[in-house]
Amino acid sequence: MSFAEYLEFNWDDLLTMAAEHLAVVVVALALAVLIGVSVGMLTWQSPRWSGVALAASGGLLTIPSLALLALLIPVLGLGWVPSVTALVLYSLLPIVRNTVAGLRAVDPAILEAADGMGLSRTGAMWRVQLPMAWPVIITGIRVSAQLLFAIATIAAYVAGPGFGHEIFAGLARLGAANALNQAIAGTLGVVALALVFDAAFIVIRRLTTSRGLRV
Amino acid sequence: MSESSSTVVSRPAGRRSAPAEGGARIELVALTKRYPGQSEPAVDDVSMDIAAGELVMLLGPSGCGKTTTMKMINRLIEPTSGHVLINGEDVLRLDPAELRRRIGYVIQQIGLFPHLTIAENIGLVPRLLGWKAVTIAARVDELLELVGLDPSAYRGRYPRQLSGGQQQRVGVARALAADPPVMLMDEPFGATDPITREHLQTEFHKLQRELRKTIVFVTHDFDEALRLGDRIAVLRERSVIAQFDTPERILSAPADEYVAGFVGSAAAIRRSGLTTVDDALRHIALAPPGDDSGGLSVSGEDTVRDAIDAMLRNGRDRIHVTDRDGAVLGSLDFTRICELWARAGQPGGRDVG
Repeated sequence: MSFAEYLEFNWDDLLTMAAEHLAVVVVALALAVLIGVSVGMLTWQSPRWSGVALAASGGLLTIPSLALLALLIPVLGLGWVPSVTALVLYSLLPIVRNTVAGLRAVDPAILEAADGMGLSRTGAMWRVQLPMAWPVIITGIRVSAQLLFAIATIAAYVAGPGFGHEIFAGLARLGAANALNQAIAGTLGVVALALVFDAAFIVIRRLTTSRGLRV
Repeated sequence: MSESSSTVVSRPAGRRSAPAEGGARIELVALTKRYPGQSEPAVDDVSMDIAAGELVMLLGPSGCGKTTTMKMINRLIEPTSGHVLINGEDVLRLDPAELRRRIGYVIQQIGLFPHLTIAENIGLVPRLLGWKAVTIAARVDELLELVGLDPSAYRGRYPRQLSGGQQQRVGVARALAADPPVMLMDEPFGATDPITREHLQTEFHKLQRELRKTIVFVTHDFDEALRLGDRIAVLRERSVIAQFDTPERILSAPADEYVAGFVGSAAAIRRSGLTTVDDALRHIALAPPGDDSGGLSVSGEDTVRDAIDAMLRNGRDRIHVTDRDGAVLGSLDFTRICELWARAGQPGGRDVG
């Protein structure tokens, strides 16, 4: 069976896997944004605490993904939950780091003006600082998204969703009929998803960034 | 905001004595700021009474504590001891954020929010105060007109699309948005080029004569202080007041060497720039017109400096003074100008201005 025939024959399955792969990444990314941006907002002012946050989220990235997933099995079992958890942990660093950097980059004079006008701390954060830091933050989210598409494949080891199963099943049977097609289909699926998502990010970034901040 | 009834307090006489309408009286009472770990206080026991509608310049070298003094009025810096009263109300009893929404604040770096349009920048405080959208939109247009920017052209733009001078105008408009009785200005025109600065100063002076806000204006530029201030507080280190007086009095009777150092060598010339011909005519009589003025003339609103300048430039020793309709009233010559100085310049004498 040629690769094209393989694709045609398995199209429905491949689409389901793509949907699952995308879903697990999007869910993990959403949670990571919630956690990472919050951590950044809480720690940006203190070099000490933002240092701790960055070291911790950086440390998480050094844990081999297979090991992390295996360690999560006794606690969270198999399937979606450990997959999403692992992905959230891996995507924190770029988000936290860019949130801290973006918030710090806001000109102190602008914060003084906000203060002098009678904006509260929270008011200044939501109305001024966060919107101004947003282009930097969303760049961090985009980097995380790219990481996650690749790492999400490993989730197959905890029976997680997505293209991982396709790739590893193919690799395990290498030499057998359609094994290579299977592995390549899965790999290309991940790459295609990542590229489409990345393009979408450019659009999202443009739509969510004030025209006044575009250079 | 409620209007102040305390308009009589130490108003300087003369050309700037329009009735106070928009402002509130500010009293600083034994205001002191000490930073932990520093032996000397940054601001040491400063007391000052600022009348409603008055524009007071805090003038001093950098690091003298003038900005710290100003920032204690809206509590961006909390005093260590002492009080600030606005219309008799102790600001330390108010919520700081609410207090600041009632005090306009303009800084040198302007600090416009780059992600908001000009209209959104100006409308921010009114929005925080819960104004209706329609009211805010109308107010934004009114303020843009007031600072000389065409609303239809500028309300939808972003700060980065404006020049420095235009941005500073928007900064002033933003500070005026909720019609605060008090404005604090920290070297607002300091970062602009000399030509734009003079332009902004002139416009601002005109604006203030209409609005009569109570303004505390920090500067290290003596000429700016002379040009704009109703009164000038010359500050030493620790914000100690060396002299607190009208520009005319500071020029004619500096309290000590320190103040004289600011005045510098051209005091008489600078004073002549603060004195209009109308002011001068209250002290001296004009010479008969004569017919040798060579077509030179000044009107009552021009300054004595303008007159001297025109005479020197044209090599004449006299100049015609005309009334509003251009009719010649008489002429001014150097003898009369010297007489003016002799009468008005004695320490303790009446202000020229």
